[in-house]
Amino acid sequence: MSSPDPVIIVEDLQVAFGEKVVLDQINFSVQPGEIFVILGGSGSGKTTLLRNLVGLMRPRSGRILIDGKDFTAMSSVERMEIRRSMGMCFQGSALLGSLSVADNVALPLREHTKLEESTIEIMTRIKLELVGLSGVEEYLPSELSGGMRKRAGIARAMAMDPKIIFYDEPSAGLDPIVAAGLDELIRTMQSTFNLTSVVVTHEMESVKIIADRVCVLHKGRVAGVGTLAELEQTDHPYIQQFFARRPDDSDLADAAYARSLTDID
Amino acid sequence: MIDVVGQVGRWALSQLSAALQVSVLVVDTFVWLVIAPLKGKGLRWRSAIEHTVEFGVRSLPIVGMICFLIGVIIALQASYTLDQFGANRYIADLVAVSALRELAPLMTAILIAGRCGSAITAEIGTMKVNEELDALEVMGVNPVKYLVAPKFLAMVISVPSVTAIAMFIMIAGGWASAVFVVGVEPIVYVNQTVGSIVEKDLLTGMIKSVFFGVAICWVGVYRGFQVEGGAEGVGRQTTASVVTAIFLIIIVDLIFTVLFYYV
Repeated sequence: MSSPDPVIIVEDLQVAFGEKVVLDQINFSVQPGEIFVILGGSGSGKTTLLRNLVGLMRPRSGRILIDGKDFTAMSSVERMEIRRSMGMCFQGSALLGSLSVADNVALPLREHTKLEESTIEIMTRIKLELVGLSGVEEYLPSELSGGMRKRAGIARAMAMDPKIIFYDEPSAGLDPIVAAGLDELIRTMQSTFNLTSVVVTHEMESVKIIADRVCVLHKGRVAGVGTLAELEQTDHPYIQQFFARRPDDSDLADAAYARSLTDID
Repeated sequence: MIDVVGQVGRWALSQLSAALQVSVLVVDTFVWLVIAPLKGKGLRWRSAIEHTVEFGVRSLPIVGMICFLIGVIIALQASYTLDQFGANRYIADLVAVSALRELAPLMTAILIAGRCGSAITAEIGTMKVNEELDALEVMGVNPVKYLVAPKFLAMVISVPSVTAIAMFIMIAGGWASAVFVVGVEPIVYVNQTVGSIVEKDLLTGMIKSVFFGVAICWVGVYRGFQVEGGAEGVGRQTTASVVTAIFLIIIVDLIFTVLFYYV
């Protein structure tokens, strides 16, 4: 079976804060239309990896190819262009607090297109309906519940009809029912629009539901990449431990590792 | 000893990188304010107008009140000396010249720095903490274009406009206390004021105030982008924003005063 060209290719990525290497020898690729989950515990570097993928951070070395173009080496103008084909949902939703929900969703359209205001209004309503949020257009983000804010964040990420969508901890801080609803939404988005999705999470429950393939990060390195079934077969101790939800004997060692990354000298 | 040298070196390096970041910000603001609109990439006029109302119109009550009181105070202080020579009518000259050349621009700038410079820092800082700046970046919206350019325009319009009104109010304050407390003839005071003002006084004050506005905005924005950590970081930078802005205002004031002294 010949697989189509990957949408995202990460080659030998190394990321460091000053002297501290937080990601090293990261290699994987994401196929078009799949849901690719980056799984890892606290301090594993998964959020850092995501920030590199969307270009909010520059790696020390290695390449990130998006649609075959080197995302790390392009000028900021080119990067802005590529970004229009990408959407991102932030952990805290990151809706602009001074704008209504509708204005938040309409923001990329207003900034990047020359569409009529009436068209933008209709498109905004469609996107909000898509994520199950009709009737809250005029609310401010602070007036919404956590789950609704996440949904609004997804609607905003979808505003420009991206080809790739990134989710940062979509179910963090939500109750299981709302979280399950979001998992379902991520699945629907992917199947409806054939959307390549990259999800960063630490929730095994949602991984089981959404993941086509999983990349497990441990202490800044890839512990394994594959489907969930493939990963369950591996004997990597960390993966086994993570899947079995067993506590760490060296809990303190992990805490110290996390601290060594976040410490600022 | 080596410690001291190291400290000085680190301080110098951090100042240098701050200067670099500020100059990047300056260039970016200029590009988005002047060059981009020429290329047909619009400025956010609505936001600029909203900020002008916030920075300018809403600052008027407090600036007006403070400037009126300072006018009252200078007039009384001037009378303390001038009275001995029977020259109370010159209170008008003193109030007018100091209001136009120095005090109205300075007080306005300091008050707007405290009111709006801090608000700019807090807004941008909070947005940074909430990943809103990252979100803008990922959406391909330049934060300088979206956030800074409208604020900059608003500040550069507001500060001189408020200053012009503050000048008038300060003179009115001087008039009130000179007339009602010291006992100068109202019409004498007015004539004396009109006679003492020259064009250059007004110009000096207005030019200064434009640059005060520039300083307030850039310090506010720079400090906002500097925020690290959570709410605590926002608080720290907001305080720093006001202190730095006032310091810069005084420095700018000094530079222009020296300049106008020779010109």
